[in-house]
Amino acid sequence: MPWKIRPNLEKADPAKTFAQRKPEFVARYKDDQDPFDYSIDTFARSEPFFKFFYEEYFRVQMEGIENIPDEGAAIIVGNHSGVIPVDGAMMAIALLNKPVPRRIRYLVTDWFFTLPGVKDWIAQTGQVRASRQNARILLDRGELVGIYPEGVKGIGKPFRERYRLMDFNPGFVKLALEKQCPIVIVSTLGGDEIYPELYNMKPLARLLKMPFFPITPAFPWLPFPLFMTPMPVAWRVIVHEPLYLPYGPEMAKDSKLVLQIARDVQYTIQRDLNRMLRERKSLF
Amino acid sequence: MNQFLSNYRAFLKESAKSDRYHGFDIRGLIRVEPFLSFLFHDWWRVDINGLEKLPSDSGALIVGNSGSFLPWPAFMLLYGLMSARLNPRRVHIAFDMDWIADERLHSLLRELGFIQYTADNVKTLLNRGELVAVFPEGAAGLARPFTWRERLIEFDWVKLMPAIETKTPIFPLATLGCDESVPVFGNLDGLAKFLKLPVFPVTPFFPWLPFPFNLASLPSKWNMSILKPLDYEEPQDRDGLEETAMKQSQFAEGEIQAELNRLLRQRWRNGNKSQSESEII
Repeated sequence: MPWKIRPNLEKADPAKTFAQRKPEFVARYKDDQDPFDYSIDTFARSEPFFKFFYEEYFRVQMEGIENIPDEGAAIIVGNHSGVIPVDGAMMAIALLNKPVPRRIRYLVTDWFFTLPGVKDWIAQTGQVRASRQNARILLDRGELVGIYPEGVKGIGKPFRERYRLMDFNPGFVKLALEKQCPIVIVSTLGGDEIYPELYNMKPLARLLKMPFFPITPAFPWLPFPLFMTPMPVAWRVIVHEPLYLPYGPEMAKDSKLVLQIARDVQYTIQRDLNRMLRERKSLF
Repeated sequence: MNQFLSNYRAFLKESAKSDRYHGFDIRGLIRVEPFLSFLFHDWWRVDINGLEKLPSDSGALIVGNSGSFLPWPAFMLLYGLMSARLNPRRVHIAFDMDWIADERLHSLLRELGFIQYTADNVKTLLNRGELVAVFPEGAAGLARPFTWRERLIEFDWVKLMPAIETKTPIFPLATLGCDESVPVFGNLDGLAKFLKLPVFPVTPFFPWLPFPFNLASLPSKWNMSILKPLDYEEPQDRDGLEETAMKQSQFAEGEIQAELNRLLRQRWRNGNKSQSESEII
């Protein structure tokens, strides 16, 4: 039969083609004993999908990705955006395309680890349950740890609050001081417009134990894959130079200093967003 | 006149302590006071808080975001400080007034307390223990399009240098609502250059209606809040001074933007109630 496509699909092994395309990445992480169920095969299987979004759909314009250190622990801090947090996936693809590819481990809220289908996939592509302890383990292993200090509130923002940051949780500064690792600031423009959230149905969210229940032009109305279709907004991402904090690990207990640094980081991102919004000519 | 004297006795006592340098004249203030009072209480229902943070008799610099079209936030700050129940003070607003060709307007503004921005002017005033306000967004803030409302334009950090040199405290001031009161659609740059104006904003009223009506604005609700003073170390040399000024102006910008975000979120999520009202309900 001419429309027999299944056997063809089976022939192509995503892990093998991925190993051909990104040999350095696979060599670096193949024999890694990871305590958080990282699986390079799952990553290889989902990578083409997000690569399409990175290159074709959102046409991400990445500035300063070389500022992310090739070796050693670092904390990547950014503004959270999008109702479905695809900004983390875009960062992972960008890091994969560097001359020295790296993986990034995002700290993700507990709620995602209660979803039956998503739970394993999220852990296998590199995400970790958010806790101070897990972050310490990752930093000790010399990994890149991605933190969105706005938390899940940041992605549930209604459309008219786009690019208005919530106040940052200063925990990431404490971690950086404790482990003496640099902070890399990443500002992302575009993520808040891919799913215009018109309204957040809080009572329904509480009933379903979701962090928020967004009403978008597509969400509860259209059938399954369609309601997740984002708008093809052009993204622009700015990565700052790593910020090495000139304080010792004992300063992590100084909450005034920690809050001051966290605010500084927040204001840097907010100023970037304001500037990028002003410079942007068109949404698409 | 008598009414004015009795209403603002404390304010007059305070401002009588210093003589009328820099053109400040109480008669100008008496003339415009009813108009400012109408705008403040009835038209924009300005909610101003944090005034108690300002020092009662020493110098301080207030750094604010400018509203679109006309520098109304400056006037509202002036009126709010003058009519404050506790510790009424006079404020000097330092901005670039070279372009004002009309003599009468120029002298009226000087009588109200507006001064030409120069580092020396600001330093003199701060050393004499006066309050000075600057709006470091400059003229670009006056032509801020409606789509970017309540989003700050980069601050001109040079305007903070006199305060850091004289080691006076710097208070950020966030004004919410001024950008919605006059929606600006665009800025005609060429025409502005031709007429020797800093900007030429186009609003629903501005070039279209005859004179007093083209300065009209919509009665949006305003919130002004004075935030806690910036915390900076005294710089040692010239380079350190510039670096501190740049850093502090960026921090002030961030503080103001964060406060605007907080106020906007509160307004959008709780309706137009003020904070105290929503707490009671």
